[in-house]
Amino acid sequence: MMKSNENGWVSVEELVQDRNFLESQQSEISPVAMDAILEDENLMDLSSNRRDFLKVLGFGISAATLASCEIPVKRAIPYVIAPDEIVPGIANYYASSFVNGGDYCAVLVKTREGRPIKLEGNPSSKVTRGGTSARVQASVLSLYDINRLKSAAKIQNGQATEISWQELDAELTGKLNAGSRIRIIGSTQMSPTAQKAVQEFCVKYPNTKHIQYDAISSAALLQAVQNSFGQRVIPDYRFDQAETIVSFNADFLGTWISPIEYASQYAKRRTLQGANLSMSRHYQVEAQMSMTGSNADNRILVRPSEQGSAIAYLYSLIAAKAGTSASAGADLNDKAKKALTAAAESLWANKGKSLVVSASNNVAEQTLVLAINSLLGNIGTTIGFNRASFQRQGDERMLAEALKEINAGQVDAVFLWNANPCYDLPNADEWAQALGKVATSVSFNTIMDESTSLCNYSAPDHHFLESWGDVEAKRGFLSLMQPTIQPIFKTRQSPHSLLVWAGSANLVTGSDQPYYEYLKANWRTSYFSGTDFQSFWDSALHNGVFEMESSSPEAPAFAGNVTEALGNVSKPSSSTNEISFYEPIGVGAGQYANNPWLQELPDPVMRTAWGNYLACTVSFDGDRRFSAENGVKEDGELLEVKIAGSSYTLGSVKQFGQMPGTTSVALGYGRKQAGICGTGIGTDFNASLTTDANGFTQYYNTNVEIAASAGKIEKHFACVQHHHTMGVTAIEKSSGQKINADEAALVDDAFKGVTKGYQGSLTKRTIFRHSHISEIKEKTEALVKERKGHQHLNEQTLYPGHEYLYNAGHKWGMHIDLNACIGCGTCAVACMAENNVPVVGKREVSRHHEMTWLRIDRYYYGDVENPNVVYQPMMCQHCENAPCENVCPVNATNHSSEGLNQMAYNRCVGTRYCANNCPYKVRRFNWYDFTTADLFPGNHKNLAGETDKPYYAENLVRMVLNPDVTVRSRGVIEKCSFCVQRIQEGKLSAKKSQRKLIDTDVRTACQTACPTGAITFGDSNNPESQLSKKLDNPLNYLVLEEVNVASSVNYTMKVNNRDHSIDA
Amino acid sequence: MSCKQVLKILFALVLSQVALSAAPDIELGKTSFKNNCASCHNKNMKDALTGPALAGFVERWAAYPKEDLYKWIRNSQAMINAGHPKATELWAQYKPTVMTAFPNLTDDEIESIVLYVNGVAAGTYPPKSADSVATGTGTPSSGGQASSIWLYLIFGILLALALFLWSLQNDLIYAKKTAEGDPSASKKTIWELLTSKSVISFVLFALVLFGGYATVNNAISLGRQQNYAPEQPIKFSHATHAGLHKIDCNYCHDGARRSKQSVIPPASTCMNCHKAIKNGSKYGTAELTKIYASIGFDPMTDKYISNYESLSNEEIKAIYTKWIGEEYKKVNAVTTLSGDAQTQVDDQWADIESSLTHASKPKVSGPIEWIRIHNLPDHVYFNHSQHVTIGKIECQKCHGKVEEMDLLRQYSPLSMGWCINCHRETDVKFQDNAYYETYKTYHLELKDGTRTSVKVSDIGGLECQKCHY
Repeated sequence: MMKSNENGWVSVEELVQDRNFLESQQSEISPVAMDAILEDENLMDLSSNRRDFLKVLGFGISAATLASCEIPVKRAIPYVIAPDEIVPGIANYYASSFVNGGDYCAVLVKTREGRPIKLEGNPSSKVTRGGTSARVQASVLSLYDINRLKSAAKIQNGQATEISWQELDAELTGKLNAGSRIRIIGSTQMSPTAQKAVQEFCVKYPNTKHIQYDAISSAALLQAVQNSFGQRVIPDYRFDQAETIVSFNADFLGTWISPIEYASQYAKRRTLQGANLSMSRHYQVEAQMSMTGSNADNRILVRPSEQGSAIAYLYSLIAAKAGTSASAGADLNDKAKKALTAAAESLWANKGKSLVVSASNNVAEQTLVLAINSLLGNIGTTIGFNRASFQRQGDERMLAEALKEINAGQVDAVFLWNANPCYDLPNADEWAQALGKVATSVSFNTIMDESTSLCNYSAPDHHFLESWGDVEAKRGFLSLMQPTIQPIFKTRQSPHSLLVWAGSANLVTGSDQPYYEYLKANWRTSYFSGTDFQSFWDSALHNGVFEMESSSPEAPAFAGNVTEALGNVSKPSSSTNEISFYEPIGVGAGQYANNPWLQELPDPVMRTAWGNYLACTVSFDGDRRFSAENGVKEDGELLEVKIAGSSYTLGSVKQFGQMPGTTSVALGYGRKQAGICGTGIGTDFNASLTTDANGFTQYYNTNVEIAASAGKIEKHFACVQHHHTMGVTAIEKSSGQKINADEAALVDDAFKGVTKGYQGSLTKRTIFRHSHISEIKEKTEALVKERKGHQHLNEQTLYPGHEYLYNAGHKWGMHIDLNACIGCGTCAVACMAENNVPVVGKREVSRHHEMTWLRIDRYYYGDVENPNVVYQPMMCQHCENAPCENVCPVNATNHSSEGLNQMAYNRCVGTRYCANNCPYKVRRFNWYDFTTADLFPGNHKNLAGETDKPYYAENLVRMVLNPDVTVRSRGVIEKCSFCVQRIQEGKLSAKKSQRKLIDTDVRTACQTACPTGAITFGDSNNPESQLSKKLDNPLNYLVLEEVNVASSVNYTMKVNNRDHSIDA
Repeated sequence: MSCKQVLKILFALVLSQVALSAAPDIELGKTSFKNNCASCHNKNMKDALTGPALAGFVERWAAYPKEDLYKWIRNSQAMINAGHPKATELWAQYKPTVMTAFPNLTDDEIESIVLYVNGVAAGTYPPKSADSVATGTGTPSSGGQASSIWLYLIFGILLALALFLWSLQNDLIYAKKTAEGDPSASKKTIWELLTSKSVISFVLFALVLFGGYATVNNAISLGRQQNYAPEQPIKFSHATHAGLHKIDCNYCHDGARRSKQSVIPPASTCMNCHKAIKNGSKYGTAELTKIYASIGFDPMTDKYISNYESLSNEEIKAIYTKWIGEEYKKVNAVTTLSGDAQTQVDDQWADIESSLTHASKPKVSGPIEWIRIHNLPDHVYFNHSQHVTIGKIECQKCHGKVEEMDLLRQYSPLSMGWCINCHRETDVKFQDNAYYETYKTYHLELKDGTRTSVKVSDIGGLECQKCHY
């Protein structure tokens, strides 16, 4: 076997053709899952005898009879006075803004009968451009979080006692006086009006300090920009203008600063359109494989402590080209030096059209990165300041100062504003102790988290969907936030609370919505010019976004001190093992931990859900042998990790692309108080973060010891890596020939030779295709030729009459551009929200029971130690010759004249033949009544796992369900429907306007959610449709085209722009 | 009568017919008024309802050209927006109540309405002699029940006849056999005949057959509720509203045109008319007070009660028993309520209270909770607007003659077979809607005559995911 594998693989087991693995892929229920079931102590609950069976049987029959004979009296409750905006049955959309700390997205909120059920991106926004992220999609579920604090409260020993807001206001204003030393500790605050409220508060209480911090800090970047350009902002990065991108550990597509914006820019130069066969080149310098790194053309491996040297080395290379000399970074590893030299060539060749970014939290390193960009002439082209970003404003140094003051008894009151310092800081324990020392502590947080439970008062904030507000995410790009539902609980907006306590004269306390009036008044004075304020306000509110001219200079001169910076970069450690900590896509730094949609969203690279895992390096030992560090043989094995004295036990995953001598793990897990979904999931590593000499948090640690694995596997290890695998191939030992895994399972000694040619001799399976940009012509030609061969095979159809129907009206199809797909998982969460896909919990995921209709498969190819990655969104392919349809004994799944593979839940009897016969493995079976949709409450009993009840059993949570999609009950199969409810709605609206259907009438949930526009849905019979245009591309292919199922989802070949000079 | 005379008369008749449909006519005016105006303008033309009294409305517009009045009637909002002085004056007086636009009314129709309005206002219409003309349009109900009784009767007679003939045949055989001197001959009684093997096996066979048939039939109808007609909290009569007063279905069920649901009207819709009509024709205050008690309207002061939601049932009772009492006094021309009358008032209130409350809704105020009649299973998606606006299906096709129902009942079985059957038989309004241009093949086939119509089933109307998703 070669060290490079162009055919692609998903895991070590598959790569080495592990016998057990291959066999396990054949059975519908995995042997591992079966063992887990048998081991389960809950199995005892299931014991029953013949009598019980008869009882249940008798009950079943009589209950069925009763249930169907007696018509339950249902009530139809009309409005008393109908609101003019609401027509029952028709969705209303309102423009608003998603904000959580520094995370921002302009959204359109879909409401039905007055309750928000889905968020879409707002295409009018010049920042997020209609894109969303998984967090945005999932945030609507947090509105209906049963753990939300329901009123103002007094807290004693972690127990909240409800008090009225008047009581709270009276008590607090009684305790505070003009001399009170107050510290408002919050996350990044992007709202100009909220900041104004803070200022008013500070006027009343002059000894107040508003301290912002970000759990994943960018303070050093802000400081470096301050030092170099005189303003404390995040520069306006433009990835779409860059031909060469070098990212030092910045996960700018997933989590870094403004990922929705960056992803949409990035994809513009990564997709190949028409004759334009060029794309940007992306180098990622990192130790662990981040999502952004997985999308890069070249990953340059450096240890976390080498980041400083790597930046300095690149600086010295660029400086040499620019004519100044600076020797630095000599202590970098040689491989990286060589690779960076190549990167520098590419950067220099694209002067003014390149971009270097870094996630480092070291001022010197960030200064050097700015200096590199300055030398490259990127300031003003790919980096601008006119529209600088305010999405990170935190500074943890001020926090350290506040802690000192608290401990010295110099603080009278602490307000926590969407901040959880007792969890997400390296010194969370010190904060927990310090909070107790403050006389008055108030938390605005929305759930009883680690910090709130230590405060005296809880003054819970609204959810953003209940709030009025504004956001200035980038200079001059404002957007408004408006409530789309009455506050569900007795909560109050934090700036409103601050204004009340400040006794602000500008707050019209008699008004219905005092903060709304305050916001409007602020906009009138700050942004409005003209005569008719009302129409200005109405249009801003309607559009959701508002643009102000910005007169800040676009390209201020760089004035950073490079010499000093060169001396202050972090030095490589001599440690043999280093660990880096990263922010995961889903739960972030822990602030999203109580959202089950995000917990169940698998990590794009590691493919694990419900927890964080240690990434262990995989090394190639030659000849089909791999070994993982720390003796890990199987994913999920528990490891003992000691980091600077603290010891942890957690599961491990063998991770390709993880640099030897390093390991990595996600932050944001191991919450102690995060509600029913987040508490106790995963392991908390915040205590192992370090702080550098200047007080900036460092997201790595060099003092790591990992004990060798004892081979014990984590209980309910929820990794979806090997679930629903398709097209697994194997090497037959005797002949050395490559065959399908299903054949491999049959290749037994007794049958040797007999099974050859099984299933039509299909020995080559085409799941994904990839090419280097330089060989695209040959690869395309080969693809076209190969497809012709398939099409010849595929001339036969099972349903000859269908052609006539397919051509008559619509024919729905989809196109997925694998070059635009970055694997972020937004579509998967959007699909769950749109289609009422249930949450199943960790245990069920570990048993392959996840219900997601859309999964994102991750495949590696290329260098087996440091591979490239393809992400492939996989959902029902709506095959014309669908293998699932003809095995259904009750015709519950069949084909529509519009090319849809239909699924009638009420007809399904649950044989699961279809799921077994599906080559793409996209059908999901409801093993339990996950959404309590069943008529019989007996079926609701949760066999599924962690909580007492299924997540959707709570009426509050059920408010998020889409009323246009059936809630499935136990025992039926479900799968992607191409959002048929949207298709029907779109057709109806076209009919109502008496015009032909256009693209914008029907857009699937995954399509609208995608930040990069990777998914196109439409009518392939309409030559005008965007889909038809995208289908005309020689790079397109169908997955498993050779098996003649004639699927309706086209993918494009993945093209990379790898710099081969590094590999040589 | 000569041939010429006959021709003359015929000619005159034809002429008058033509004239009838062209020139303003008071009968046409009456119909147009009822169809378009009566839901907001008082029929007596003298009192205001939701809209102003119409008596003398032409005179009020005398200062402006006739066309202005026509425009006003066809689309009042457009005129208000255009800033017409009379229009803005009226708007200032009546806003925010918006007059429905009637863009389809012709000048002649408007003139007919003017004739009718003036006639009624002046008391010259209707002519006294026309009083006796019956207005009922109801047809006698079909004899479905009766005919099946007849069938049973005929079946019974035939059965008796068969039995009689059989015993007669037996008698004859017996007679013949005795005549032939057959010693084995015996006369069979009716009982012996009925308990004979052949009869028993036939009965058993019939039982199995009918039993099976009944089981299958009943199983199919499980969960179905055709003819379901529960008592509603208010004795609302569609016959009165849709039948007698000819209020358009869409006026109250305004979702049917544009939404999935037809929408049960909110109490505020009832108030559009019942602000003025405070006594029902059948039940007086007994039913109408329920609307007032739901929404919090005080019929004595014609004002909505502020903070109504926070009032207790006792406080609400005080308001409305007073109203019921006042009305009682007015109707019976008494000045005080006797003990007996007070009991009647209290009884009436007790009924109102029990109608508006139930175990989980203890308060009188708040929405009127109707009993839902048409219940589709959760896995069925049905959209009214698709059928009403696009398919142009009459409401009556599925809901029956609602305008004749005092108590609403479910007319159709709402079974899948019933839906499917209609989708098989119904033509798509293919030519009128540009949306269907997508179906090029069908258009071509229609053109060259290979196809005469496109049924709903031809565009996928029988496919699962048209209704189940």
